[in-house]
Amino acid sequence: MTAGLSERLVLNSDLKHLNLVRKFVKRIISKAHLKLDDEHRIVLAADETLSNIIKHAYKFNRNGYIDLTVSIDNSKLQILLVHGGKHFDVSKLKNKTNDIEKRIRQGKKDGFGVFLILRIIDEIRYAYKNGQNYLTLIKYLPSKCCKKND
Amino acid sequence: MTDFRIDIQKIQNDFTLLKLNGFLDAYTYSEFERIISDLFEKRQFRIIVDISNLNYISSAGAGVFIGAFAVAQENHGTIIVVKPQSSVKEVFDLLGLSQIFPIYDTVDDAMHSLT
Repeated sequence: MTAGLSERLVLNSDLKHLNLVRKFVKRIISKAHLKLDDEHRIVLAADETLSNIIKHAYKFNRNGYIDLTVSIDNSKLQILLVHGGKHFDVSKLKNKTNDIEKRIRQGKKDGFGVFLILRIIDEIRYAYKNGQNYLTLIKYLPSKCCKKND
Repeated sequence: MTDFRIDIQKIQNDFTLLKLNGFLDAYTYSEFERIISDLFEKRQFRIIVDISNLNYISSAGAGVFIGAFAVAQENHGTIIVVKPQSSVKEVFDLLGLSQIFPIYDTVDDAMHSLT
């Protein structure tokens, strides 16, 4: 699979699409022959990112858009989310993930999504261009990934 | 909300069994939160949550467990989790919840722990 694989899904900013997005991401990343746990984690990271965009960037306004592209090449799996909501850089929310155990014991309910994303994903890139946010989640793959005949 | 369903069963006067089915995420968690809140209003703070048929949980769903556990403990109760599937257990492990929540393999085991 030297040329790589890439698929795109455009949807409006509605939480009801989460299940659809999970199925979409799972279908594509299954071609990377990851361990089931890793596959599940990446689907979870995509779900958490989408949920955060709808919550923080769109403030639950369902009329926005999210343009999702999942790509795999020999070395990495990449999930690009382009949206027109408010600036929202997941990696800048790192401070919300401090002292997670204390937050759990205090019964605080938020901030765990970002914690999970940062634990699962190897690299996060964020850019704001022409009124659009470009958020990219990158997971580097083990070297045996993606046989050529897949 | 066809992706998620909760069955409620009052086992004894002082504890309740909830059976979660489907997908617990940022879209569906509010139903679970509402039911927990209703139980707390009725002073039901001892709750067994059977998640053997829960296929998926994200942080929004885990957040309901986290908030509920804190309130239950403040009121001398508890939230007991029964038989998470591996994908759900994985999320509990990632968040460190497996060390905090009592987790049992069967509802019977969970009930015995409360009596």
